[in-house]
Amino acid sequence: MADGDDFYQILGVPRDASQEDIQRAYRKLARTYHPDVNHDPGAEDRFKEASEAYDVLSDPETRRRYDAFGRDFRQVPEGVDPETWRRAQAGAGARAGAGAGAGAGPGGFSFSEGDIDLDDLLGGLFGSRFGGRGSRRGWGPIPGADQEAEIELTVEEAYRGGRRSVTLSSDGTRRSFDVTIPAGVTDGQRIRLAGQGGRGSDGARNGDLYLLVRIAPHPRYRLDGRDLFVELRLAPWEAALGTSVALDTPGGEVKVKVPGGTSSGRRIRLAGRGLPNPKGKAGDLYAEARIMVPSRLSRAERRLFEQLAAESNFDPRKQR
Amino acid sequence: MVRAARLSLEEFAVLSGLHPDLIRRLVALGLIEAYRDPAGQLWFSRGELAAVARVQRLRAGFALNYAAIGLVTDLLDRIAVLEAALRGAQRRGR
Repeated sequence: MADGDDFYQILGVPRDASQEDIQRAYRKLARTYHPDVNHDPGAEDRFKEASEAYDVLSDPETRRRYDAFGRDFRQVPEGVDPETWRRAQAGAGARAGAGAGAGAGPGGFSFSEGDIDLDDLLGGLFGSRFGGRGSRRGWGPIPGADQEAEIELTVEEAYRGGRRSVTLSSDGTRRSFDVTIPAGVTDGQRIRLAGQGGRGSDGARNGDLYLLVRIAPHPRYRLDGRDLFVELRLAPWEAALGTSVALDTPGGEVKVKVPGGTSSGRRIRLAGRGLPNPKGKAGDLYAEARIMVPSRLSRAERRLFEQLAAESNFDPRKQR
Repeated sequence: MVRAARLSLEEFAVLSGLHPDLIRRLVALGLIEAYRDPAGQLWFSRGELAAVARVQRLRAGFALNYAAIGLVTDLLDRIAVLEAALRGAQRRGR
């Protein structure tokens, strides 16, 4: 947590909020960001911040001390007058120029062992307190929760697999991972990064981070599971007479044999040319025929089409 | 190393860091699943370690009682199933 963050700001309440308002604000945040409710990697830190803030502000006595002395109130001995403390703090800053201090600098306070609640201090330092004060008692270390984040892959990346660096940013902190993408990963599949999830408290093991794979829409390819669909544009005479066409696929160029009499929408299946499958049969590639005509005809083309129209008795709207 | 498929109560207690009596109580409350063999011994699958950790986190984070934790975990599991189904439907609709 950034040092400048104010506990009231974290809970989103004004400084004069009632104890009920503080509790209500905290309960709302806890329900939103508890790591078992919200799997976003940033949620856990928000939850811990809110818990720490609530820990302090829910108790009128610690709240009073927080109001008087700020974030470091635990280091201020009991019974110190806030005014004196403030003057002392200001004095410490000004002393360099002012020469002789009034004798009330921070050095004037001595720390005896009883002054600091070690438990509070350690809890605050390690962020290991999970929730309200004392509620963890008797539970010992608690393993961290699993988290989930999305990564977007191109169709080509899903096809080839391989190493990829993934950066997750949440609340200003960025974490980078080198992730091995298995070849043939499909949309909606989860890649597990062991131990990269929520932090366990008191040395308990961390949760796992799951990367939920999203395949980005592609201008040419459409995926259904591991089956790959690609448009195959044909001239009318190619579709009518049959031909062999070179087609780009994520796995390289392939030759597609188009049988004569192919209409738009016909799917030519290339078995095993879809996404590979680490655990079995690869998907298929379907080349979907789409017949294109020239938007402008040359004189010769027009003559030939007119001749075809006169000769042919083919009616695409009949039968079916 | 081959991991044992099932954990005894003692092994489960060590791995989860909880007292065996507390674990028995959580089983009785239906918060974690266990198999009881003919001799009356409790056995756990490894997956229950994650379940018991979630019970701990929810109890610590919300000061819930055990009955409420049972309800919350059931609802969270149902939501996870529904969200997965929704994602699947959205993918197919794309």
